[in-house]
Amino acid sequence: MAENTVVHQSRRKTLKLIRLQEQLTGYLFILPALIIILIFGIFPIGYSIYMSLFNWQVTKGPFIGDKNYLLIFGSWWNLLVLVAGLGLIILGSLVWGKAFQSLNNGQRLAHIAGALVLILGGVIFVTGWGMMYETGNKDFLNSLIVTVYYALGTVPAEIILGLVLAYILYQDIVGKEAFRMIYFLPYITPSISTAVVFQIIFSSRETSLANRLIGFFGVDPLKWRFEPKPVLKLLGVNVSGLAGGPSLALLTIIIFGIWSFVGYNTVIFLSGLGNIPKEIYEAAEMDGGSKWDRFWHITIPMISPVTFYLTLIGFIGTFKAFNHLYVMRTPSAQDTVITTSLLVFDRFYKANQYGVATAQAIVLFIVIMGLTLAQNKVMGERVFYG
Amino acid sequence: MRRTSVLFVAVILIASLVLGACAKATEAPAPTEAPTEAPVVTEAPTEAPTEAPTEVDPWADVVPAKEIVWWHQHTGEAREAAIAKIVSDFNATNEYGITVTAEYAGSYGDIFNKMLPILNTADVPDVVVGYQNQVATYQLADAMFDMNELIDHPKYGLTKEEQEDFFPGFFAQDVLSLFGNQRLGLAPNRSMEVMYYNMDWLTELGYDAPPTTPEQFKEMACKASVTPFSGATEGAASPTGYELSIDTSRFASWTFAFGGDMFDYTTNQFTLNSDAAVQAWTFIQSLFADGCARLVTENYGDQSDFGNGTLLFSVGSSSGLPFYGDAVEADGTPFAWSVGAIPHTTADPVQNVYGASVSITKSTPERELAAWLFVKYYTSADVNAEWAKASGYFPVKQSVAAKFQDVFAADPAYKTAFDLLKFGKFEPPVPGYDFVRDNVIEPVMTNIVDDPTADVKALLDQANLDANAILAEQMAQIK
Repeated sequence: MAENTVVHQSRRKTLKLIRLQEQLTGYLFILPALIIILIFGIFPIGYSIYMSLFNWQVTKGPFIGDKNYLLIFGSWWNLLVLVAGLGLIILGSLVWGKAFQSLNNGQRLAHIAGALVLILGGVIFVTGWGMMYETGNKDFLNSLIVTVYYALGTVPAEIILGLVLAYILYQDIVGKEAFRMIYFLPYITPSISTAVVFQIIFSSRETSLANRLIGFFGVDPLKWRFEPKPVLKLLGVNVSGLAGGPSLALLTIIIFGIWSFVGYNTVIFLSGLGNIPKEIYEAAEMDGGSKWDRFWHITIPMISPVTFYLTLIGFIGTFKAFNHLYVMRTPSAQDTVITTSLLVFDRFYKANQYGVATAQAIVLFIVIMGLTLAQNKVMGERVFYG
Repeated sequence: MRRTSVLFVAVILIASLVLGACAKATEAPAPTEAPTEAPVVTEAPTEAPTEAPTEVDPWADVVPAKEIVWWHQHTGEAREAAIAKIVSDFNATNEYGITVTAEYAGSYGDIFNKMLPILNTADVPDVVVGYQNQVATYQLADAMFDMNELIDHPKYGLTKEEQEDFFPGFFAQDVLSLFGNQRLGLAPNRSMEVMYYNMDWLTELGYDAPPTTPEQFKEMACKASVTPFSGATEGAASPTGYELSIDTSRFASWTFAFGGDMFDYTTNQFTLNSDAAVQAWTFIQSLFADGCARLVTENYGDQSDFGNGTLLFSVGSSSGLPFYGDAVEADGTPFAWSVGAIPHTTADPVQNVYGASVSITKSTPERELAAWLFVKYYTSADVNAEWAKASGYFPVKQSVAAKFQDVFAADPAYKTAFDLLKFGKFEPPVPGYDFVRDNVIEPVMTNIVDDPTADVKALLDQANLDANAILAEQMAQIK
């Protein structure tokens, strides 16, 4: 009996040792990648945080703690109000969602409570934003709005167009390989050079390609990249501020963004479409499902992991976008095309205010992280993994 | 059910956001406070000497270093060859055995970005090319050598004649009032803003000479906007009198031409809202309001429109002379054109001159002296003539004119521009100027020309406050 116990213990020890060895081997395998990520990924983020706590201009100045952040928010209280508003919006939507799921008598009450919390959250959020705008850095806050416009203008259009093109190319059409390559070309062409071509196409010259094109429809020449006025205003809708939407200059850059990335999305969607089992379509066809039914009820859900992935990297990409925005911006468009990444760049390289610039970069980083988490939560739950 | 839920949430959220936005009364923006004056670096007062000072030459025992490095931005076959020759001649002939290594270090911007992290380290080059505002930024870290220490030195310095041979504006440009009049560079070449004009078109319009005053300029420009040039390229843009590019150098040019300046070198403050600036930009605004001018539509679009015969006047750098020439020749129907002074309200023209200088970084006396000896050689009259011919820039020495008769004969427009060099005035050599240019002045220029009812004075007042606030932030970096 005692002998058995000893053998058992010895086996357990050996197993532990093997496991430990396996784990060590695993760690050794990931060590090179880990070192690279630590040096080129984590360290720069840590160093940026460190820089943001100093009055760091051309040279490192004294430690100033949160002052560079306060320049952005005005005060921590402003940020707190904003975050509280955001929290209430999340809470309200959760309560509302639960109310719809529940079938008991408290449903109506939960609806009312959810709606009230949502309204309250919205009001508090806007109040916090207004307070920040009043005492914080207007340029930075404006740049966030421009970035949001850019992201919302680009990502959904890229996703929809990419899916439509992929679906068309997935059909049995002649020369689809060639089309695949053509659609993918904008993505692999250096954005600096294509942005320069877009500069010429969307020049405000009356003879530019874009102006000739709209001329066919009887529209007067537009200033395109040079136009700081909101698109809605140009269409005769007299709105200003946030509701005014993106400027025509930003819309031009949005068109470029869509053109660049739609091919990439198409190719990824194509690979996603290839993974949907043919039998499901055949079964649906036998059951009398139309082409639209099959697309809506089979393709869309089955491809949702790809859509989720593309949306996620699309939003992260647009918030970080820089090259083509830098090339296509014009002084005439003023701050209507200055996204946060451009603003940080200008603060860093033109104003040489490294502390302020790194604080802004860290805030942008947190915004991107927050958005990614929110997307993960909201969209991730709706993804159908088969 | 779930979809309906999401829809409801979205509707309620939007409604609440709108509600919140409406609830927040919009208030007129509070006036920006006047910035505190940018501190000026002043030397610590020296105590009154109790004894007669004995002149000790700090350079007497300094032996120039044997090897130094020069970072420059020059590219192109002609310029590279000229740089190589200048450096090799210096290396072969200087009596101290100094060897200069010239390194191409990227564009002006690249060099600036490379320099900032290595200031005051052993990695900096001994001589570096830079605009005055860039060098001023380096000096915030006290990283540059003050050439005043050597410029008048009996052995190593420049003689009075050599100093006076520089065009006065060029020589003064590298003396930075913000830093107690330290000399942080010496000019090897310059460019200048000039007015390009289509003489054949002017003749068709009934004029026999280019404009010299803003009134004449406007009259001609407005006439040209409704009277196409007979030699215009078919299918090109509609005619216009003037095309403005949103560029701070244009702001400076027109402000100077109206007798103003962008900076007060006694108070060390921007003066973007001077009477002259307001007059100049009210004038430009009226050109746009009356349909006599428009904005440049793409990079160098003014050059191509000028070449196509659809643009009567253009204001730009003299370094564009060969490109304007090419544009005129491009479609095979050249016309008579030339350059002149920017139309001015002052008695004499006032021309915006600019260009990077060569500066010396702080290091050891041996290296600083060797660097200075090279800079002195590079800006000497003979070498300057050689460099200007090869590079296409303007020389900085007046005596070079005698050596340039062949150039003047071959290119009369160059001669016309050269004769204007003595009227040079420069943009503020202050740290953070790039930020002011892009983030303050250029948006204001856009607002002025985009809106004929815009209050030019109010816009320039705010721009001036903003510019001085940025300057104060920059100068606060000095410890």
